[in-house]
Amino acid sequence: MSRRPSLSVAAVAVAAALALTACNANSDSDTAGQSTTSSTQKGGELTILTSSSTVTLDPAKSSNLAITTLGLFNRRLTSWEIEPGKTAQAVPDLATDTGTPSDDGKTWTYHLKSGLKFSDGSPITSQDVKYGVERSFAPELSGGLGYHKSLLEDGEKYQGPYTDGDLDSIETPDDTTIVFHLNVSYGDWPWIVSMPAFSPVPKSADAKPQEYGQHPVSSGPYQVDSYKEGSTLSLSRNPNWDQSTDEVRTAGPDKITFQLGQDDTVAAQKLIADSGDDKNAFQASFVPPAQLSQIQSNADAKSRLVTSDAGALAYLAINVKHKPLDDLKVRQALEYAVDKKAFQIAVGGSIGGEPATTLITPGIAGRQDYDLYPAGESGDVDKAKQLLADAGNPKLSLTLLVESDPVEVLKAQAIQQGLKRAGIEVTIKSEESDAWYADVTSDKGDYDLALASWQPDFPSANGNIQPLFASSEIGGGGFNLSRYSEPEVDDLIQQASAATDPAQAEKLWAQADKRILQDAPVVPLLFKKNSFLHGSNVQNFFVTPFPAYPNYLKVSLSK
Amino acid sequence: MRTRRHPRQFLADRWAVAGGVVVAGFLLVAATASALTAVEGQDPYTYHLDALDDTGRPVGFGGGISGTHWFGVEPLTGRDLFAIVTHGAQTSLTVGLAATVIAMLIGVLVGVTAGFFGGWYDRLVSRAIDVLYGFPYLVFMIALGAVVSAKFPRTWLVVLVIGAFGWPTVARVVRGQTLALKHRTFVVASTAMGAGPGHVLVRQILPHLGVTIIVYTTILIPGLIGVEAALSFLGVGVPAPTPSWGRSIGEGVGWVQTDPMFLVFPGGALFAITLAFNLLGDGLRDLLDPRSVRRRPEAGARP
Repeated sequence: MSRRPSLSVAAVAVAAALALTACNANSDSDTAGQSTTSSTQKGGELTILTSSSTVTLDPAKSSNLAITTLGLFNRRLTSWEIEPGKTAQAVPDLATDTGTPSDDGKTWTYHLKSGLKFSDGSPITSQDVKYGVERSFAPELSGGLGYHKSLLEDGEKYQGPYTDGDLDSIETPDDTTIVFHLNVSYGDWPWIVSMPAFSPVPKSADAKPQEYGQHPVSSGPYQVDSYKEGSTLSLSRNPNWDQSTDEVRTAGPDKITFQLGQDDTVAAQKLIADSGDDKNAFQASFVPPAQLSQIQSNADAKSRLVTSDAGALAYLAINVKHKPLDDLKVRQALEYAVDKKAFQIAVGGSIGGEPATTLITPGIAGRQDYDLYPAGESGDVDKAKQLLADAGNPKLSLTLLVESDPVEVLKAQAIQQGLKRAGIEVTIKSEESDAWYADVTSDKGDYDLALASWQPDFPSANGNIQPLFASSEIGGGGFNLSRYSEPEVDDLIQQASAATDPAQAEKLWAQADKRILQDAPVVPLLFKKNSFLHGSNVQNFFVTPFPAYPNYLKVSLSK
Repeated sequence: MRTRRHPRQFLADRWAVAGGVVVAGFLLVAATASALTAVEGQDPYTYHLDALDDTGRPVGFGGGISGTHWFGVEPLTGRDLFAIVTHGAQTSLTVGLAATVIAMLIGVLVGVTAGFFGGWYDRLVSRAIDVLYGFPYLVFMIALGAVVSAKFPRTWLVVLVIGAFGWPTVARVVRGQTLALKHRTFVVASTAMGAGPGHVLVRQILPHLGVTIIVYTTILIPGLIGVEAALSFLGVGVPAPTPSWGRSIGEGVGWVQTDPMFLVFPGGALFAITLAFNLLGDGLRDLLDPRSVRRRPEAGARP
């Protein structure tokens, strides 16, 4: 998903039991994200329009959410129950339950349902799941969600089945049982096994690991017919999938076609017009601000627009390693000088998001609202100038690294003009998104500022704080874009991950949130709202507070 | 036979004159952009969020056209569109003219030497021109954007790249002309009398290329302005927030249904200036280039 980066191998340092109740979205939120709910009708050909030109089909390399593309043809041990008006839950998928932990929380046992088959008709066994996890460790298959890699015993050293053989911390005593041995007690494990790496891969189909993603073997209701990079991905029904074993997928449409590399504006216009095949389509990318504005005066299109609650955090990362940004006063000046109102307008006004002053996103349990730098929505320029004067008026000529997408560049300009009011010169450097991602996560970090947004990979404050601010996440693919390293914060993160009592953990995360912002390594800008548009025949299309993306597994078409 | 044409003949070509007037107008606007927007009381960088509604759409008629904002404002930012269009003229003309100068210099130098000296040098240059013709300069530009330091002034990078890829046409035409001139009697005579290649090139051949150079310059300018707009349209041209018609058009496309004026003003400006330069170039060619005489049917010559 765009700007929802995956994590590096060392994503999760040390973590302990975080009870499942700790990780959830607003249960009392209204049904803002809901459009239609009705019983699933079977049949029809669904089209999904996306601006991405590639889809990573290899589960080991994928950073997909459990409910999007790969979820249609890769089942995992668990999946997510995402329903309008209900909180997100981890639920059994291939497994009979969400896992049985040992008393110390370090060993998790799963049993597979009976009658599970791959698309080629062969049975799905626990060895296939084990093999799928093992191959995600292979360096040549990196890039996928890797939370499990540092949690599994000996995972730090293991280099995948191609060179190192079996991983001993995953046991398969029989064909339907799989046991995971972890380094630490970890209560969020049922969420971890819903990630793409936990889908079964038959060893016999993996003769050439790099090419497995071209023809993945399916375990879900659909199988991959063809994949043409930059053009289309076609899915059709998998005859060997059995609805009675699957509670999370309704498998409405007969065929699903992804149109890749679609211009967001053009795709949105097609869906606004809603004619012909476009009635059976939805847009997986966000609706651009210009079309959001257009839809406001079009009642028909407005009824087909689905907007999430405020979620993912959009923020300005300040590279604290670069002079003069290593000076706290200068960074605080940035906090005051930024024009959040202009930034909000750049993403389409209040439908684009709500101004943010904290790090943990709304909907995550334990979040505390506060504002360390009260400056009003348009910023406090005098206060910023005052702080800069205190810092000795350093010459500020900063480079802001953004993706070359028009919306991103517009956001960057909103930041630029805001800072300019306080005499801070900003040069915008825009790069193709792959280049941008490589640069901001590289060891070198050759930028002063970067615009990014973050959506946690699972609903816990852990997913908000640790990946962005732990010193282990600086460079080397990590997403600590501010290159912020504070022993006190690392300590808090460690304590919070290890806290066994959810209330205690929540308190520690909230404390970390505030402690980090005292050092001003980022300027929180907006809690973004994601807007999606669908055609008039598309049903069961809804967006819940977490994960703020539509649930592909339930979408169906009316006749 | 060579016929001398009078400026009066140029003035008789009403389209060419209109083109010349429009070009002069744009040059004037570009030169005085800051003064013009000062009269209006605006600049192309200041945000006016109060001119927008909650979704970022300009409030009021025609995208917020009013006494304070003559062309209305830009959606999502509220920047003054008149200031953007006039300063965009500055960008377009600067880039277009500077890139043309570079392209003409390289093109003439390469073309004249290749045509005059011939041999392996000519073959090498001709093949290089063929390669450049097929070179995907857009991809090159995007790649360059990621590699070159952000400190390097991006506008001049665009000028250099466009100029560096704009010369092959010129070189090819100039080479052909030079090949023809080389065998003309006056050149042969000059060589026979002992003139060195330097003298022949500068004194005998270059003066006869003057017309070609002038005509191709006027035809090249609108093309290169268009290339700049295309690069900015794709987001790899002059960097934001430097006003650029191409970028405004790229953004305006999305607003065509809700705020068409945002597309009309910069789009109209780009259309007007490229058309005007082309008309002017055509007129000049008719006037100056003897071999492209427009075959107007003479009275009584009709079948």
